[in-house]
This record gives sequence, structure tokens and C-alpha cells, in this order.
Amino acid sequence: QDGLKLCLSEFKQQLAWVERLDVTLGQVVDPVSQSASGKDAVDPENDFQREMSFYRQAQAAVLEALPRLRKLQIPTRRPDDYFAEMAKSDQQMQKIRQKLKSKQEAMERSERAKQLRAMRKYGKKVQTEILQKRQKEKKNMLNAVKKYQKGLSDKLDFLDEEQTSSQGNKKGSANQRIKKGPNAKRRYKNQKFGFGGKKKGSKWNTKESFNDVSSFRPKVAHNKGPGKAGKGGKKALNKRPGKRARQKMKNRGR
Amino acid sequence: GKWKNKERVLIFSSRGINFRTRHLMQDLRTLMPHSKADTKMDRKDQLFVINEVCEMKNCNKCIFFEAKKKQDLYMWLSNTPQGPSAKFLVQNVHTLAELKMTGNCLRGSRPLLSFDPIFDKEPHYALLKELFIQIFSTPQYHPKSQPFVDHVFTFTVTDERIWFRNYQIIEEDASLVEIGPRFVLNLIKIFQGSFGGATLYENPHYRSPNMHRRLIRLSVAAKFREKQQVKEVQKIKKKGSKALIREDPTEVVFETPAEEQPVEIQLVKPESKPIVKDKKKPRKIQRKKQKKLFRTEA
Repeated sequence: QDGLKLCLSEFKQQLAWVERLDVTLGQVVDPVSQSASGKDAVDPENDFQREMSFYRQAQAAVLEALPRLRKLQIPTRRPDDYFAEMAKSDQQMQKIRQKLKSKQEAMERSERAKQLRAMRKYGKKVQTEILQKRQKEKKNMLNAVKKYQKGLSDKLDFLDEEQTSSQGNKKGSANQRIKKGPNAKRRYKNQKFGFGGKKKGSKWNTKESFNDVSSFRPKVAHNKGPGKAGKGGKKALNKRPGKRARQKMKNRGR
Repeated sequence: GKWKNKERVLIFSSRGINFRTRHLMQDLRTLMPHSKADTKMDRKDQLFVINEVCEMKNCNKCIFFEAKKKQDLYMWLSNTPQGPSAKFLVQNVHTLAELKMTGNCLRGSRPLLSFDPIFDKEPHYALLKELFIQIFSTPQYHPKSQPFVDHVFTFTVTDERIWFRNYQIIEEDASLVEIGPRFVLNLIKIFQGSFGGATLYENPHYRSPNMHRRLIRLSVAAKFREKQQVKEVQKIKKKGSKALIREDPTEVVFETPAEEQPVEIQLVKPESKPIVKDKKKPRKIQRKKQKKLFRTEA
């Protein structure tokens, strides 16, 4: 060890820094990396980490050296019109550029292919959705038409049923449907002739039908309710005078 | 300005180097304008001949590449007249021509040298640092040099080895791109004289490539031998030594001879049993055969 130190002291040249341009520094303190102080933490097997540590060391050196160089008025930036021979020939640089370009193109191509695939998938999904929607609409339309045919809803709303409150329409027609059902005329005929000739041999003025007062309208009978269309005429007509009064009228008229 | 620092480095090699080493040498010659080339040296000459060659070429430093067995590359860095010299094993060589090194620099521009702080801690590293500085830095106002400083050499100590990288300085904010070449130096010895002399330092962590290969071979052989041994032990276990039990005299006590039965001579053939075909017979035969094979195998 002492021999080493002796040798070193003999060997060392006392040159100005400008001649040697050496910098001994640690790395740039990187807030991102976890080990700024402990360089022993750099695993030599981990290639990326190792190379990054070299890079950072070089950066630190550069950052320290450039101001010193500028002070000593040594140029560091090459002016644009300064043409000189480079360490690597132009041919070599062309090759490098080609390689980089081809790599980039390959990446772009794969990206485009992926996007196309994704888009096709999405398009297919959208298409199936649209078809289903159309079928649903068709079904609904047909149902509405059938209902109109059957007489449940006499509104022709389904013809121009675009967007406006299909919900509201549905509600109104449902109410009406409950009330009306089949036509009144139809209902009477169903009752009379329904179940195929039931009424023929059946009794007419039975006890039940006599006791059935469901068709009795008290307002109509006592002439109490409000008139439907006209006032006096209908009322008068409703109240028919008795036999004696009628004969009297007849005799008086004669 | 005037060129004062008269450093000249002689870069050459021995015979038997492969293409990568040759390219590395050429790369170093392009990067260092203060270098001189020479023809390949013959193997039979002794190393101190190199000192004379250097003197003839008027060089005071030398980088000498030596290839052995067409596999291992050794590099000597030396200060030729009387100074120290160091021998390294070179590994992981990548040249300038590799397409992944995208940077470029002026031919002959002066480099910035960046060292690890470890170089200041140990005396042998300090000596090496001085050697590197004197060899690799281009003297100012050298006729072949360019006045700009646009690339930086880094020397880092990791894993007991010295890693060399060359980066191009693109921006003033220290964004760098690698130019190459790159190599890893494994220090073997430092000598007091040039290509000889007393050994000042010997690297305890260094393992010669021969030793390394030998160890690998030994470990593989050891694995194989272990497997064989295990097999043999298993064989012995299977055969198993039958323990001999000593004869017990008290056993005979309870033996009673059987009653004598009259000798019956059968004159009529006995009824033959109905022949029931053994469905499992072929399978039984096969199993027996397999058992036999298994036993003979082991």
C-alpha cells in the first residue's frame, strides 16, 4: 500500500485542470430513484439500473464541468455551420437512423392493427345492438297495430310515435282500455248470443231477473239528474203522463 | 494556443485477436487523436520488448491488447519509460459500430472524464485514476483535436470491476446519448515498472478465466457424480442385507411328530375339477413379467 502511494506521488502529473478535464462525482440526486446516496444498492445484475447509474454519473459530471468550461472559454456547443469529420461515418449514422425508423414503423403498424381489431369488435357490437333495437321496434309496432285492430286503443298514435313521451301515451291508452274493453254493442251481443245459442231455451222473467235491479237508474227514473244534451225537451219527453191524463189530453185536443 | 502536453499513446495488439477486439482497437484510435498504431506483435517476443517499440515510436503511454486461447482478452495500460502498468481482463465488449449506440461525436474532440467517488477512496484506485486520466484525455491544442468538448467518458466501479461508457452531450442540460464503445475491465495486477517489475497490487477478487471455466465444469461434474452416488445407495438399500438369526434351541421343544397315516393307494382316477377359464390369467402373466424386468433392472 505504501508502495502504491509512493508510486502515485511520483507518477502524478501536476497539470492544469483544463488539460485533464476530469470530474470525480457521485450521481445526480434523482428524486424518482430510491437510492440516491446508497450506490451499493445498485444491483450489477440489473442491467437497466446499472446503466441508469452510469448515465446519472455522467450527467452529474457534465453539469459540473460545463460551467467551468464556459468560464475557461472552451466551447462546448458546435455551431451549425461547423462541418468536420465525425467519429462515426455518415453511412453508419444512416444505418442507425434506418434501424430506428423501422423499429418505430413496426410499433406503429402493430398499434394500428390492434386499434383496427378493437374497432371491428366495437362495430360488431354496435351493429348487433342496432339490429336488436330494430326488431324490438318492429315487434312493438305490430303489437300496437293489432291492438288497434282489436279495438283496444282507438288512438292512431303509433303511426307517428317517434320520441315524444311514449310513456305518457302508454299510460292514457291503458286507462281507456280498462274502461272500455270491447265495444258496448259487442258486449250486449256477447251477452245475448254468447256461448252459442244459450238464450233460446232459457227462462225469461225468472225470480232472479225480476230481483235484478242493476239497470235501475234513480236519477233517470225520478227525472232528477242533469239533462244530457237539451234541457226541457228531454225532460218533458222522459216524464210520460199516465193513461187517464193522456185520455183527457186526447179528448181535450179533439 | 500551443500544444504543450506531449502525450502519445501507442495502441496495438498481439496476434490471434478476433474481430471484436480489432474493432475496439480501431474505435479507440478514432476516439483518441493522440494515439498511434502499430503492427501486431509476435507472441514469442517478451513483454519488455514493447517498451522498446514505444520508444521507437516516441510514445510515452501504451495500450496493449493480448488475446489468449482465442477467447480471453487482456489489456495492458502502461506508462512506458518507467512508470506503473496495469493488466486487466476485458469483458462485455461492444463497439462503435453497434446499431444501438445512436450518438455521434466529432472525430478528435476532447472528452470529459467522469469518475466514481470510489476512485478516491482506495490507493490502487487512485493510481488507476491517474493512469486513465493521462491516457484517455486528449491534450489541449493537439493538432488533430477539435476544440469542442462534446462527449464524456465514464469510469464506474461496480461489482469489483471498472465499467467504461462513452456518452455524447446533446444539450446543455446534460441529456446524453451513448456513442460507444463499451467494455468492462477486471483488474488483475498493478506493476511498478512498465510491463514488469514488482507487483504493487493484486486484485483479490480476480479469478482467471481458466479457473472460472474449470469451476463451472467441476460443478457440473459434481452434480453428475452426486446423482450417481444416490443411485448406488438406492441399489444397495434395495438388495438389503438379510440379518441372520441365531438358531434357538428351545424352539424344537414343542415340535411333535405327526401321526402315522396308512398309506393309501389310489386305484381310480379322481374326478377332474371343472375347468374355469381364468380371465385374469394373461394379465397375471404380464404382471409377473413386468415384476421380473423391474427386479433385474434395479
